[in-house]
Amino acid sequence: MKSYDVVILGAGPAGLAAAITSNDNGSKTLVIERENKPGGILKQCIHDGFGIVKFGQRLSGPEYAYKFIEEAEEKNVEMKFSSFVTEIKKSDEKFELKLVNSGGMEKIETKSIVLATGCRERTAKQIFIHGSRPAGVYAAGTVQYFTNIMGYLPGEKCVILGSGDIGLIMARRLTLEGTKVLGVYEAKPEPSGLKRNLAQCLEDYSIPLYLSHTITKVFGDERVNAVEVSKVDKNMQPIKGTEKIIKCDTVMLSVGLIPENEVAESLGLRMDPSTKGPLVDQDLMSVNVSGVFSCGNSLHVNDLVDYVSESGEIAGLGAARYSLRKETRLITFNKGKNLLYLVPQRINVKSENKKVIFYFRVKATMKNVEFVVKLGNHKILKTRYLYLSPPEMKRIIFDLPSDLTDDSELGFEAYEGER
Amino acid sequence: MKLKKIESLLRRKVSKNIVCSEFHSSIVLEGEVEKWDEVIRAGKLAANKGYKGVVNKIKVKGLEIPKMKLPSIRDGTLEGKKFDVLIIGGGIIGSSIAREISKWDVSIALVDKEEDVGTHTSSRNDGVVHPGIAPPSGSKKTFYNVRGNKMYTRISKELDIEFSRKGSLVLYNNNFLKIIKPLIRSRAKKNGVEIYFLDVEQAKEIEPNITDEIKGAFFLPSAGVLSPYKATIAYAENAAQNGVNFFLETAAESMEVKNGKIIFVSTNRGKIYPKVVINAAGNFADEAANMAGDQCFTIHPRKGEEVILDKKKGWLLNSIVSKLTINRHSNTKGGGLIKTVDGNILIGPNAYEQPYKEDYTTTPNGIGEVLNKHLYTIKGLNKADVITYFAGTRAATYEEDFIVEKSEYIENLIYAAGIQSPGITSAPAIAVDVEKMAVEILRNYMSIRKKNNWNPKREGIPLVNSLPYEERKRLIAQNPDYGVIICRCEEISNGEVIDAIHSPIPARSLDSIKRRVRAGMGRCQGGFCTPLIMKIIHEESGISMLKISKKGGKSYILREETKNSLRRVKAKEKLGKR
Ligand SMILES: Cc1cc2nc3c(=O)[nH]c(=O)nc-3n(C[C@H](O)[C@H](O)[C@H](O)COP(=O)(O)OP(=O)(O)OC[C@H]3O[C@@H](n4cnc5c(N)ncnc54)[C@H](O)[C@@H]3O)c2cc1C
Ligand SMILES: Cc1cc2nc3c(=O)[nH]c(=O)nc-3n(C[C@H](O)[C@H](O)[C@H](O)COP(=O)(O)OP(=O)(O)OC[C@H]3O[C@@H](n4cnc5c(N)ncnc54)[C@H](O)[C@@H]3O)c2cc1C
Repeated sequence: MKSYDVVILGAGPAGLAAAITSNDNGSKTLVIERENKPGGILKQCIHDGFGIVKFGQRLSGPEYAYKFIEEAEEKNVEMKFSSFVTEIKKSDEKFELKLVNSGGMEKIETKSIVLATGCRERTAKQIFIHGSRPAGVYAAGTVQYFTNIMGYLPGEKCVILGSGDIGLIMARRLTLEGTKVLGVYEAKPEPSGLKRNLAQCLEDYSIPLYLSHTITKVFGDERVNAVEVSKVDKNMQPIKGTEKIIKCDTVMLSVGLIPENEVAESLGLRMDPSTKGPLVDQDLMSVNVSGVFSCGNSLHVNDLVDYVSESGEIAGLGAARYSLRKETRLITFNKGKNLLYLVPQRINVKSENKKVIFYFRVKATMKNVEFVVKLGNHKILKTRYLYLSPPEMKRIIFDLPSDLTDDSELGFEAYEGER
Repeated sequence: MKLKKIESLLRRKVSKNIVCSEFHSSIVLEGEVEKWDEVIRAGKLAANKGYKGVVNKIKVKGLEIPKMKLPSIRDGTLEGKKFDVLIIGGGIIGSSIAREISKWDVSIALVDKEEDVGTHTSSRNDGVVHPGIAPPSGSKKTFYNVRGNKMYTRISKELDIEFSRKGSLVLYNNNFLKIIKPLIRSRAKKNGVEIYFLDVEQAKEIEPNITDEIKGAFFLPSAGVLSPYKATIAYAENAAQNGVNFFLETAAESMEVKNGKIIFVSTNRGKIYPKVVINAAGNFADEAANMAGDQCFTIHPRKGEEVILDKKKGWLLNSIVSKLTINRHSNTKGGGLIKTVDGNILIGPNAYEQPYKEDYTTTPNGIGEVLNKHLYTIKGLNKADVITYFAGTRAATYEEDFIVEKSEYIENLIYAAGIQSPGITSAPAIAVDVEKMAVEILRNYMSIRKKNNWNPKREGIPLVNSLPYEERKRLIAQNPDYGVIICRCEEISNGEVIDAIHSPIPARSLDSIKRRVRAGMGRCQGGFCTPLIMKIIHEESGISMLKISKKGGKSYILREETKNSLRRVKAKEKLGKR
């Protein structure tokens, strides 16, 4: 049985960054990717805007990915493609993985694992769309694959449900290809995509955005021929009498992403219900199954790939240093009432990693926000944000106080105005 | 009851506009009413009152019921073809009949109007092999149910169908079971069904995660579960291997009858000349009977909606769990939770009358009803576990029993009609009886004998992901395609998809691949694998990417190539000028 220090699942931006870091730190590293080449979802993201934070450049998805692929290849990081992990078992100090590919079945063992498995899209059924079941209803990522990788368009007249970023980007992409995009319908009162995408993908192309609206029914036998849209109330329930029929042949859904954590769940990792990713400490290691690290979109859904790579680096470093890791002493903290989530969710006071990067989102749009970190009653950090909204993930970095102990009371808070 | 008496009953209880008459020993209802519910009530009141069947032609004012959907092709490929046996309908009933008759050295054709077998009711149900306690003693339903249930032990082996017989647990939460316990016990005895009464603790040994709000349960060990569409396909494939000709996208549209005998059946692909016709047309069996001028029953489609949960939660359930509902007038078993052979939990169905035979739209109310009724019977389930839902229609007659018999009026017509639930369970037993009837009729026209090379065995596509490690390794060494995973949620390989495309009844559409190998049936619902599977279909069968469909007909997935829109605009302009 082949044996590794670090095995990474997924060769998207998170997995590649983790692999390079773990390799640089002297660990025997293997990347396992189920698709036939590296790059993850970036392969199909041919628009620009990747790498602004990390490289100060507006790269396309494949260009961004290539920087990491090239580096990993130069450094001879071992990667297996078209390979699928079917089972992972933890035994004593090791993990045993079974994987399958066209060469057959193989067992390998490793000291630590990095999960960089990305995310999948929510489906029409998960948001309880009803009506008949014709062809023509697709997730935006699927349409992106059809269009950008395969060179096919799904239809002529498209209605988009949900204002997630992939939907917005595809609204523009389809428009450029001559598909008529009739509108984007969003059930929430606020759009869920980034401001920059709303401006560059909808406004610039005069594509209307209807907030507090949803699709209540799909029509068509063989292929979609219309949808019924309705206004919704505060509780997202359709309002009777506001129904409108719109003729179209395609419905594209951009209603959210879900971290892919089937492997994590099979290992029994405790999950955070608000991120749908594992609970981790500042090295991005699972709080209850030691030796398993998580990063990228499988940890929590990111809106910028730059932070995906960053989290890959943290997890890769954590995994490389795993065998040197001393004790673990986790402390939890209060995240206040306005934060939707905060990653990591725990601090290991014994970790050598004292420079902690937190990622967070707020529950609702807030203006003129003071964000504080407290140790007991002391404010150990204070920053201001003019504007915070759920679609924009924020990142904050700070040095842990050297006197942090198991019973330190760490707390976070975000509020409008000053206190 | 006399005709006039029934008529006045209907006029009094339902509507003054109803007129009754008699045809082929059946009672015919005509007239116009306000609501569909009245149509159903009239039919039910007239049923089982001394006539063979109820032919309900009552119309609802202003309600237009769409005609049966027909295939779009029209050609003459079958014109003038002669077969000894013609089976109309490729659901589990038609397919199992085809397989049993294929033992005989006769020529057999099966037509179905869809692009695959098993696309209607046979793929839209619970897949429960019922024990046979629900239908009334002495009915055909009970007879075939109990026999069919037993036969699945052998049939599942012969046809390589996954079948799990883990029993069914029926929970009750009140004390009036004391009163009806003897009734249930005697029904079980009469129907020949094994039954055990359990206390709460014993019930929890079988299903540890059931709700605490129960007083006891009974357990029916003979209940089982299978995949109904895989079973239909298995029967059809074995029939095809034994020489049955499957003509898909082929609809029986009318019949020529002379002197009480069907001479030919017209289809969209030409006239077929059969010696014997078997009507296994599911929800359209009454219309097919009418084509022969022999309509002696009416199908009223009773809809049911079902929900599927993520496999992740599959471990919470081992078998089949339901709650006892006592309603003498109910024609369904009230639904429950089922652990499918693929490891998901399926919940449902509900049951309601509505006029449409092939309208499979789901409704927020229906799905909500199913979830609210059953979800919390098992602790740990919740709405976020739903991955998909669907609907089906039961082909119920007003007599609420199966019709498995030779026609009284047409000498070469056999019925396997009105096969509502438990039709999946009953199929093996119905099929062998219909085989006997067909042989009897054929003997009037020809001498026939059994084939000596009939092969009862069919081998399915390997379930690669559930093979033991070494076996899987060996299989991949023989065929590396079995090692390339295409559908990540269900862990289905390239090799399995290719097998489905080249199977005895070749899969061409995404849905037909789904039914054979599950690719696209998992939690992402094909989000990732749809493009990959399309590519495989294209490469293996040469169908252009633009002609690959979701479910046959014009349900195409894609419209055109990129960088092509100018051509489309120009083409439209041209059309406009003309
Ligand atoms: C359809 C889609 C479109 C997007 N578009 C944009 C965009 O336009 N702009 C933007 O900034 N962000 C976009 N995002 C967000 C984007 O996903 C992230 O920015 C980033 O690509 C996430 O990187 P990752 O490495 O975490 O995941 P991914 O890029 O998804 O990579 C995960 C990799 O892991 C592999 N994998 C998963 N499980 C296993 C396993 N068990 N075994 C082996 N391999 C496995 C997968 O095949 C995949 O290659 C999009 C996301 C999706 C889903
Ligand atoms: C919600 C629900 C749950 C159920 N649960 C169970 C269960 O758990 N256990 C059980 O045993 N049973 C169950 N049943 C019942 C079972 O599904 C049916 O009894 C069975 O599938 C009927 O099979 P069939 O072959 O008669 O009909 P179908 O599968 O409907 O087949 C009829 C076929 O005939 C074709 N056809 C019709 N007219 C024509 C024509 N003119 N020309 C050509 N082709 C034609 C149609 O295309 C169709 O494919 C359930 C049913 C429903 C609706």
